[in-house]
Amino acid sequence: RGPAGRGMAAAAFERRVLRRAAEHHYLRVRLELADGGARPNAAQFKQLVVTALRELHGEVGAALPVDVLTYEEKTLSAILRVISSGFVKLWSALTLLGFYQNRRCAFRVLQVKPTSPFLLALSGNSRELVLD
Amino acid sequence: HAALSRRYVLCEVVSEDPRCRQCIEDRALGLAVRDAIARVHGDYGLACCSISFTVKYLNAYTGTVLLRCRKDSYRLLCSALPFVRSLESRAQRYPCFLNTLHVGGTIRTCQKFLIQYNRTQLLRLLQNCTNEEQRQCIQKSLLSCSLTEEQSQSGDEEEDDGTE
Repeated sequence: RGPAGRGMAAAAFERRVLRRAAEHHYLRVRLELADGGARPNAAQFKQLVVTALRELHGEVGAALPVDVLTYEEKTLSAILRVISSGFVKLWSALTLLGFYQNRRCAFRVLQVKPTSPFLLALSGNSRELVLD
Repeated sequence: HAALSRRYVLCEVVSEDPRCRQCIEDRALGLAVRDAIARVHGDYGLACCSISFTVKYLNAYTGTVLLRCRKDSYRLLCSALPFVRSLESRAQRYPCFLNTLHVGGTIRTCQKFLIQYNRTQLLRLLQNCTNEEQRQCIQKSLLSCSLTEEQSQSGDEEEDDGTE
């Protein structure tokens, strides 16, 4: 309660709500690449993601902490983790990346999860749902 | 008019090489700043800051530069200024750095700040004089400057502003 005698309407109480936003966001992505060329390995895949960030968002973007949690070279799919404040930068950078080693490519974002990678891996994916 | 808010960033070019002064012109500076933004913030940052970006005022003698940008992107601009490392003009490149002095919403606030800043700088120059001859020189030029009222309010600011 605000102290009496201050001469102003006493504040009843003050409630602070700290919404602890999720620290990391997780994305499941797949790289579409024309056939007939070497597939990137895990390190080259990470390099590609960093390159995309550098082109669109500069050195600041390239310095974002992005991790490739899993990578499957056969399907060119991966689960990426990024700090939540950089989520928009990462997704926009992946969207606008058009080339890998002078070959046309495209990132498809399959799933996005703000909390846990486990839920991401286990859950069904409505984006790829096919209705009969 | 709040919809078209702009920010004016006042900075000074500092260089050890006196020949850098000849590079202090709007094209060279504009290119150097935009190049720094592109390196630090990428295509997105460059595009954001380029809207309404211009070099509004320059003073090659004092190295003072006034830049203008949109209010939404002034943070991108200000954070990229420390990455300007050299100026290039007529195939000559000289190392330098930019000191941000003031960020204001109008040219007038930057002008007020600059007048005040130049006053203190002149005083500091006077104090740092190593010999009597320099001291006499500065005192003479300070005492000899005067303020003339111009008919057209140009908004440009003279370094020797009418101090008594």
